[in-house]
Amino acid sequence: MSDHDDEILGKAYDPRLMRRVWSFARPHRRVIFLSMALFPLVAALELLQPWLTKIAIDRYILPGDWVGLTWVAAAYLACLLGLYGLRVAVSYLTQLAGQRVMHDLRAALFAHLQRQDAAFMDRNPVGRLMTRLLNDVEAISELFASGAAAVVGDVLTLAGIVVLMLVLNWELALVTFALVPLLAVGAAYFRLKARDSYRGVRIRLARLNAFLQESLQGMSIIQLFARERREAELFGGLNGELRRAQFRSTRFDSFLYAGVEALGSMTAALLLWYGGGQVLTGALTFGGLVAFLEYVGRFFLPIRDLGAKYTVMQAATVSAERVFALLDAEASVRPPAGGARDFETGAPAVEFRHVWFAYGGEEWVLRDCSFEVAPGERVALVGPTGEGKSTVVRLMTRSYDVTRGQVLVGGRDVREWDLTALRRAVGMVPQEVFLFTGTVEENLRVVGGGAGASREAIDRALQTARADRVVASLPHGLAHEIHERGQNLSQGQRQLLAIARALIYNPAVLALDEATSSVDPESEALIRAGLEELVQGRTSVAIAHRLSTIQTCDRILVLHRGRVREAGRHAELLAAGGFYARLYELQFGAGRT
Amino acid sequence: MRRLYTLVFELPGSVWDERFSDAEWFLIRSRSFAQRRPRAGHWAGSCRGLPPHHRVTLTKLSSGKAWRAACSAARRESDRKVHDPVRRRYTDRVSPARRFLVYVRPYAPRYAAGILCLAAATCLSLAIPWQVKLAVDALRAGTGTQVVAVYAAAILALAFLHGVARLGSRFTMLGAGQWVEHDIRRDLYAHLETLPPAFYQTHRTGDLMSRATNDVSALRALAGFGGVMLVGTTFTFAGTLIAMSAIDPWLTLWALAPSPALVLLARRFNHHVETESTAVQEQLGALSARVQENLTGMTVVRAYTMEEREIEAFGRLNAEYLMRSLRLARTQAAFSPMLGLISGLGGLIVLWVGGRAVVEGRITLGAFVAFGGYLAHLAWPTIALGWTLSNLKRGLASMTRIAEILDVPGASDGEATATGSAPIRGGLEFRHLTFAYEGRRPALEDVSFTVPEGRMVAVVGPTGSGKSTLGSLVTRLHEPPPGAVFVGGIDVRALSRERLRSSIGYVPQEAFLFSRSIRDNVALGDETAPEARLHRAAETAGLAPEIEGFPEGWSTVVGERGLTLSGGQRQRAALARSLVPAPAVLVLDDVFASVDAGKEAEILSSLQGAVAGRTTLVMTHRLRVAQEADRIVVLDEGRVVEEGAHAELLEAGGLYARLWRIQQIEQELANE
Repeated sequence: MSDHDDEILGKAYDPRLMRRVWSFARPHRRVIFLSMALFPLVAALELLQPWLTKIAIDRYILPGDWVGLTWVAAAYLACLLGLYGLRVAVSYLTQLAGQRVMHDLRAALFAHLQRQDAAFMDRNPVGRLMTRLLNDVEAISELFASGAAAVVGDVLTLAGIVVLMLVLNWELALVTFALVPLLAVGAAYFRLKARDSYRGVRIRLARLNAFLQESLQGMSIIQLFARERREAELFGGLNGELRRAQFRSTRFDSFLYAGVEALGSMTAALLLWYGGGQVLTGALTFGGLVAFLEYVGRFFLPIRDLGAKYTVMQAATVSAERVFALLDAEASVRPPAGGARDFETGAPAVEFRHVWFAYGGEEWVLRDCSFEVAPGERVALVGPTGEGKSTVVRLMTRSYDVTRGQVLVGGRDVREWDLTALRRAVGMVPQEVFLFTGTVEENLRVVGGGAGASREAIDRALQTARADRVVASLPHGLAHEIHERGQNLSQGQRQLLAIARALIYNPAVLALDEATSSVDPESEALIRAGLEELVQGRTSVAIAHRLSTIQTCDRILVLHRGRVREAGRHAELLAAGGFYARLYELQFGAGRT
Repeated sequence: MRRLYTLVFELPGSVWDERFSDAEWFLIRSRSFAQRRPRAGHWAGSCRGLPPHHRVTLTKLSSGKAWRAACSAARRESDRKVHDPVRRRYTDRVSPARRFLVYVRPYAPRYAAGILCLAAATCLSLAIPWQVKLAVDALRAGTGTQVVAVYAAAILALAFLHGVARLGSRFTMLGAGQWVEHDIRRDLYAHLETLPPAFYQTHRTGDLMSRATNDVSALRALAGFGGVMLVGTTFTFAGTLIAMSAIDPWLTLWALAPSPALVLLARRFNHHVETESTAVQEQLGALSARVQENLTGMTVVRAYTMEEREIEAFGRLNAEYLMRSLRLARTQAAFSPMLGLISGLGGLIVLWVGGRAVVEGRITLGAFVAFGGYLAHLAWPTIALGWTLSNLKRGLASMTRIAEILDVPGASDGEATATGSAPIRGGLEFRHLTFAYEGRRPALEDVSFTVPEGRMVAVVGPTGSGKSTLGSLVTRLHEPPPGAVFVGGIDVRALSRERLRSSIGYVPQEAFLFSRSIRDNVALGDETAPEARLHRAAETAGLAPEIEGFPEGWSTVVGERGLTLSGGQRQRAALARSLVPAPAVLVLDDVFASVDAGKEAEILSSLQGAVAGRTTLVMTHRLRVAQEADRIVVLDEGRVVEEGAHAELLEAGGLYARLWRIQQIEQELANE
């Protein structure tokens, strides 16, 4: 997130967006309507209290009727208790609605993210997606918790006060309202100023933080160039600017608060002066005057805070815009309805027909790449780094769509396949072993063959993958908790578990990206044995980094400059003494042993 | 129990003793220690929980119990102290509150003024209901409107003055809080600049950032608004109570009757809210960890068609989060209106009991009205009390977190004995250099070679052979052992870092540029360098033609907010940057690591200009660069395995020859 985001100031109300927010709120409309229905009651009871005070003074205290006063006090108590109950209900109901909407929004967003393709993930950094899913959703819920709902409540209260004052004494009411325009204008002015200056603070804070972050990352450069003093000066400049900006915003803020408070007292003075005269002439009772004083106290705060609520609404609108933009992002990889789920009999397991592919623009990774893999054939992909080997594997599982040409699996274009069925048929084992937080068993029971796999099947797979000893060595065996990214397992252990996972998944075609990271010789031997079992009797396309893989496979495809340059068995290719022979020497021969 | 035997605890820089009884003494004799070392009649050992060089020495012996007691005493003592590994000394740990006050003290006058303003504001605001009382009483007495007008005018004046005083208190105290934040942040940054790379390798940037931002602003809240609240609420409480008692002490007692309940409730509520909101935060943490994992592992999720399962798992966490949030919402919903209820009860009591007092003529109607006004004054400070306390707690916790950084000792120049400040000229020498990063096996072992003045020596070797370590030791980014690394014949440890570093032009492996203009980046080492020198440096580094091609030339901003440079351009900018101060010694750390072969030739040719006449140490795995050197040193697993000129090494047929062959093939394949 950059400070640019902070500089965006949107509308506080956007009907199109509100309709979409409402589509998420609709299922909870009962809760929302109920809380809305309670607002007028809260307002009424709040306004009843000064009225009761008025009655108490006029009818009982001044005439000296203590028994009557006790009745009023009882009414007052009932009013307090009722108000308490209502407020509990309103506060809980608004929270309930907000939290539920948030819950639904999060679930919808998360499910939507699961449907996105690889290109989408390339475009959107994880951090940004997390901000959308967590922070922005939270901001939208403020609409319910303290934005729209509270505004409704405030407006009702204000309207009630106006009506009551007019009823009590319209002349005095008008005197009171005389200061309202002043308040409204003043509050709006200072609120606006405060908001602008607060934006200034945020921008400066973002600048300071960016500077700080860069300093932390480049600290050794600062030290090597003996720049400490100069950088401290630059930081000092930003630090001072931030402080000044903060002080500016404090100023407006303080003026707003002190001003409203002063205006409240001034109105009281006006009331006393004008109302006092009316009391003397008998146009107003003492109780009326006291009630007026109390109403005025309750009149000013909501007006002052309307501005703050406006800002909340604005922030929520900006967040809603971002969240819905994300929800609107359509995956470019879209499976057809009722797509194919099976191989065509007799067709090659995998076929690339004149495939051209670029991740973006005209930088072709694959140029007119064609090859076939027969059912049951084991193929190794070999080539210098960055020549499109991984891309081939990704296209087989339709992580991306080809730019030109066709990729066929089981005789059908991958674009005709049902996506889930395709990925069940073509299992990909990525280079980096990614295990999820959870138990070992949960990691092995992936969807497909694994979800319903019997315990025996799992044990068998573990044995075949040579991973049984790994599991046995863990304190809790299959129930052992794996930490984030499998950090509590060694590299070798993780790879063995990944092989077992692939075995349990049991795909018809295996797309294997062998890990390059080195493990100790013992694990290496185990992994090699496990991999051999994995590809046994299965169509496999492997990006080979192991000597054993290329020596035992049925055919080697040498990729260079985005197309298949040589193909054949290891021995043949070596004997031919072409590109492969040199590549082989580079990767396996001449290197350190 | 007689205490006969003395245990002497020794910490470097601090010695103390404790006495133990005969019986304890006997018991400890039978106790065996893992590290028992009789030394001049003392028994020494280390116990768990103490830093390794932090020993407990026992004069004579002691029992198992005594030993444990001794150990826990030593641990207590070491908790109170902060170890300074550079000076190998213990210094007293300072409490966070005292540390915080150090920053507050310079602004004492502002705070004093703020407190005065608050006192004035409290008095003025209390005077307003009093005027209302007088006015109401006057009305009741039937005096003319003029008298009431006087009171109204007084209220106007009081309201105005009160506003002024309130503003004054906020300006002074909130302003002071902002200054405190400013000062702490300044010191933190200055301190961060002194910390060595080893520190940054063990501390994540995110964590440091959070301390420098969130924790520092928590301190501003404490020093600013927290102060206002603390002082303001105290004054308001005291003032209001006095004013209310002046009207009627009994009524005051009645009105305050619900307050103890309020305090108790607030405490219980705070406790609940704290545990419940921690539960919410934890769940949010679990939720975001899950999302992060899912998004980073999306490839696997897709490959194994785990989407549905992931949605389900997320759904469970999401539902739990909803549940915990709602539990918190319930507590808050039940409690927050409670405050209103209880202060309302106070109002009710005033209405009922106070009303009776008016009926009976004990107080006037004006007093009754004013009393209600005062009661309203009390509501806000009571509500804010909890907030103020948690603010205090949070602030002190933040101060501790910041102090943790401030207490990490900065790199000191140590025994920088060499005098003078002129840049050093001459050759480089490594003499039986052995170096290990903390807790790891040696990265360099017994490395000896020299770079004669004005010559170029290349160090080659596979990844992880220790090439880069050489560069970081020459520049003292990591501290070499004494007597092992020499520049111009002087041990680098005898040189101040500033002098050493300004004498050496260093180009690191990863060309880190700041997001500033090209000019600022190139002139990093010497801002006063004349334009001509910058141009010459850019020329030598082969960057000049590109700079002219940039949209804004030398003023083009690079990095995040500006132009993104290619790896080769960054490297050349870093090279130009190192040339600006015109160093006599150049250290280039694998500057071709992220450059393709085409650019390599380009940089190579520019390098030839740069190294002319300079003592140059080049670490590289590109052998074409090494070929240009006067001499080549081959490192493997931290040891020098071969040394000589290019032709000699090729002939020898060792590691160098093998690496050379690999690169030949790579070249061929790339050219196909």
